[in-house]
Amino acid sequence: MSDSEATPAEVAAAAQPPDTPGPQTVDTSNEALRDGVNRCPKCGSTDIQLRVSAGMLVCLFCRYEWSEAMIEPKVSGEAPLQDLTDTVVASGATDISPEVSGVITLKCAGCGSEVVVNTAAAMSSRCHWCRHVLTINEQVPNGAVPDAVLPFGITRDQALQHIRDFAGARRMFAHRRFRSDFAPEKVVGVYLPYMVVDGNASADVQGFGEVETRRYTRKQGDQEVTYYDADVYQVGRHVDFTVDDLTIESSAERANMNAFVNTNNVINTILPFDTKNAVQWNANYLVGFTSERRDQDVAQVQPVLEDQLLSIARSQVEGSVARYNRGVRWEAEHLSVHGTRWVSMYLPVWLYSFYSEENGRAMVHYIAVNGRTGETMGSIPVSQGRLILAALTVGTVLEGIALWLLVVMS
Amino acid sequence: MTALLIGLLIPLASGGDTPWILLLGPAGAVAVYWGLFQYYRNTDKSHSFERETRIESKPIAGTDQKVDEVRGTRRPSIEGDNVRNHRQRVRRW
Repeated sequence: MSDSEATPAEVAAAAQPPDTPGPQTVDTSNEALRDGVNRCPKCGSTDIQLRVSAGMLVCLFCRYEWSEAMIEPKVSGEAPLQDLTDTVVASGATDISPEVSGVITLKCAGCGSEVVVNTAAAMSSRCHWCRHVLTINEQVPNGAVPDAVLPFGITRDQALQHIRDFAGARRMFAHRRFRSDFAPEKVVGVYLPYMVVDGNASADVQGFGEVETRRYTRKQGDQEVTYYDADVYQVGRHVDFTVDDLTIESSAERANMNAFVNTNNVINTILPFDTKNAVQWNANYLVGFTSERRDQDVAQVQPVLEDQLLSIARSQVEGSVARYNRGVRWEAEHLSVHGTRWVSMYLPVWLYSFYSEENGRAMVHYIAVNGRTGETMGSIPVSQGRLILAALTVGTVLEGIALWLLVVMS
Repeated sequence: MTALLIGLLIPLASGGDTPWILLLGPAGAVAVYWGLFQYYRNTDKSHSFERETRIESKPIAGTDQKVDEVRGTRRPSIEGDNVRNHRQRVRRW
């Protein structure tokens, strides 16, 4: 097993310090798949993969189709979100242990031989002796196995069409290398790791708002200048709210959204997903796709969650300050998080990437298609020369019109 | 080039004799450049979690107390208005 004799479960247990008070954990492991051999429930074959058009697993031997159980009832239960008062972490979202190797050795239940799977690159492998397909199903604390997976619902052909349409509408000012080398058939289906968070929180905001009481004009030379009178109010607002399935990147690389050095923001833009339809983990959903491992723990994602909860609170109170027709300047804010529930999830993205170098600076431009809704967003490298030429042309025409107007009016 | 043009024209236009309409060309050029750049690169896009997440909130509570009056200001809105800029963080307490 793995790099030592210990089972993944034993390694996970060893990684947790004894008697440390921590969040409540909900076990989401798929017990039916514990031996690493996922068999067709009907014929016992291990040749299984996702049929995207149906969103179901299909046995390649007998064509039987089935699906894993939804994850939502297992982690949420019946209690309403307003009653959430603790930190609850599903077992696939627990902290990653640095001691746990990404290379797992599985014992084939078919013939007994040992098969190595590098979870950084794949979540399944075929036994080289008996041809059984072995899959990583146990939640090893290395971030590779999430609580749930949302299967692809958009086919590769549909994704190709979305990408062609997106890039086709942006050809004129695209960089000439992009126009010549654009090859959408290189699109890959990737399961990206996210934390899906339910939260129960309260927020307070304090600031000042102004209500216009009078507006008048005074002459200054040839010009009329508008002046305003206003009443100033000290404004405070309190909101209690719950959020359901807030989706946050749990890969440090994807979470780094600096538009000057990468284009990860376009992948973020295709959110949200219909996470309510996510199913319990089964590695066969990943057959034929790639995946990226989670490398962020709950504690590392918490600041992003708090930032987003504050933004949501500010958005929620906006309607209550509509009477301040000169605007509101919020100066202080406070957040109380009463309870959160964390589920790690693989979400499906069709990703086309294009490597580009501009002024010696390398950048990978993505066109991303939401693997469930088809929402598409991307970044296309631009031809600066064409863009500046277009801008100057329009500027010159407008300046000509301005000069003509001046001459006519003088 | 556009920046140079604007740099030359702003002092001209702000002078009493030169009308502001001369800024139309440079302003149009900057708007076209920025609009096209964003259409291609989408650097300003992100997930609108404030609107696209299932959120349930209880009725908003709050206080409003008049503390001052402003007379004869030329500002059309309050200084530092951030009521719509939900993602701008302010002091936390």
